Amino acid sequence: MFSLLILLLAAAPPDAEAILRQADKAVLGETSVYTLRMTVVRPGKGDRVVEMRGWKKGDTQGLVRYTSPPKERGTAYLRNGESTWLYLPSGEKVVRVGAKQNFGGGDFSNADIFRLSLVLDYTPTLAGEEEMEGQPCYKLELKAKDRSVAYDRVVYWVRSDGTFYPVRAEYYTIAGKKLKWLTASDVDLLGGRRRPTLLTMENALDAGARTTLRFLAIEDGVKLDETLFAPSALERGE
Amino acid sequence: MPTAWLRYPGGATLEMMRLLGIAFRNLTRAKRRNALSGGTMVLGSAALVLGSGLSDGIARQLTDNLVAVQTGHLLVLVRSDDFIPQNSPFDAYGQELIPGAEEMAHRIEAEGKAVGVARAVPYLHGRATAMAGSRSSPAGVIGIEPSREPELRAAFPSIAGRFLADGDDLSAYVAEPVARKLRLGVGDAVSFVVQTPKGGLNSMDAVVCGVFKKNAPWYDATFYVTLRAAQALFDGAGSGTNIKIELRDGSTSGAHRARDAVARMVGAPAGVPPRSRVRVETFDEAGRFSFSIIQANEAALTILSAFLFLAAGVGIVNAMLMSVHERTREIGTLRALGMRRGLVVRLFLLEGFALGVCAAVAGATLGGVLVLRLGSQGIPMNTMTLAWMAGGDALFPVLRATSVARAAGAIALLSTLAAAYPAFAASRLEPREALQHV
Repeated sequence: MFSLLILLLAAAPPDAEAILRQADKAVLGETSVYTLRMTVVRPGKGDRVVEMRGWKKGDTQGLVRYTSPPKERGTAYLRNGESTWLYLPSGEKVVRVGAKQNFGGGDFSNADIFRLSLVLDYTPTLAGEEEMEGQPCYKLELKAKDRSVAYDRVVYWVRSDGTFYPVRAEYYTIAGKKLKWLTASDVDLLGGRRRPTLLTMENALDAGARTTLRFLAIEDGVKLDETLFAPSALERGE
Repeated sequence: MPTAWLRYPGGATLEMMRLLGIAFRNLTRAKRRNALSGGTMVLGSAALVLGSGLSDGIARQLTDNLVAVQTGHLLVLVRSDDFIPQNSPFDAYGQELIPGAEEMAHRIEAEGKAVGVARAVPYLHGRATAMAGSRSSPAGVIGIEPSREPELRAAFPSIAGRFLADGDDLSAYVAEPVARKLRLGVGDAVSFVVQTPKGGLNSMDAVVCGVFKKNAPWYDATFYVTLRAAQALFDGAGSGTNIKIELRDGSTSGAHRARDAVARMVGAPAGVPPRSRVRVETFDEAGRFSFSIIQANEAALTILSAFLFLAAGVGIVNAMLMSVHERTREIGTLRALGMRRGLVVRLFLLEGFALGVCAAVAGATLGGVLVLRLGSQGIPMNTMTLAWMAGGDALFPVLRATSVARAAGAIALLSTLAAAYPAFAASRLEPREALQHV
């Protein structure tokens, strides 16, 4: 009888919040240093490619500095708590920017980049299991905990093969219109473990436009000092 | 033997009338010279009337448009304590929601009758991204109560389809430029995406019920929807960003008189964001941008008038001095016959006045005809700069009696004053020397 109960528990899918917590950590660890290449694709225009180095600590602290192209080198975004700042080296000024403003002229918002943990803002429910992008997935329905969260509803597909890699997310407005959709692909060995290395965001506001984030290097578990995430450090270009 | 100018049985008035008659007659003695200096003044007074017509036209269309579309005569809105006017046409739009704006508007209308409130209408303005097919554009979405906005409807007449109707919560009334940009026609679907004041993203789908002819360029990307639809879109049931109040006395002084009473009715409602408060502003306060354009135009007209006066004045002084020079022997004869210096001064002043009156009448008539003609057909403002300056795609000059009278009076006065120096010079001539003048 006891063995049967253990078997049943093992076969049952984990609860929605546990899936979401696992998925939140599937790309970047709790503390990470990474290098990525952002490509902004606009129909009829040349692609814009920016490389950057980023630091992430927990769910509320993040810093990204552009490393190329040379004319944009030094541009930096900082997220600390609920505030986001932008540093433009040409103006030598730090300005506060909105979390919902786009990041670097692409389709990701600042919140998309720095708020990678969905579990803080959303209440998840498991809507079922289905195949997505050729992978068996859990389908999660995420409902915003309050009206200040950017997307009122997110439909999230997470691989159900035990890896908990995110596969696709669709972001909806309060009225239920699909605004953006994200796909996570190209699972590869990076920083000592396998993980999705390519994130692609498409935007209903601009048909044919998309922005990709390609992780080139990731190092998890790095010890990061709190001063790294102070706006004053951003201005000093440290 | 006493001559006619030595004794006047009819008194001073008759003397002046006779001198005036002589002055008018003298004008015809040097036709070419007087025609040239008079022509300068004709053009000057016509330019003044035309300039005033243009300036008055800009002032009227900016003010009428501001009152009809954005501010009413009084505007209720939330301003943060550190609000700094940007001298922008969007300054009049509130940046925060007024909690319970609909209920507040009803209360102002009910309680404000004694202070001249005719109507109080809430509206909600916000920024959005409008999408149609594969196209998108930044947009301003404004929620209104359609049946209570007759002035707005008149200011933005439809060129296709119809105006919004009450309860038509799935329709949008679209400015022609953004309709062209998004290739929208009546019956087409358009979607809006906005960030609500609380921070979430929201959207709305609507069908175009009409396309309107906008006036000022800052309405190029405007979409009107019903207030209820806008409240749902911006997640603010019952709220609005502005309350537009129409007064029975719509003058600037009337608005300033009613403001304090309305401010007392508004009070300090709960739910206003910290470091912000509900304010009541008159249309000239809320529409600083429009009034700065009006002031700039008036200043430009004043400077232009000053140069016109200077040029015309120099011309008149020159013509009158020539007249004095040519008539030296005549003046000497008159002085020898006993004409007093004062009468000589008066005679030349009256000649200047007569020339000024003739030029002012002709110039004001010419300018008035021009203003009426341009006012009936409008002057296209083909460039964006001109459209911003004039507050519309076309400028309709306005002919005001006061402007015509002011221009004509100024020219007549200028001509009379400009004759003062030549008149004084003529009066200083000694009869003996004057009679020897060749």
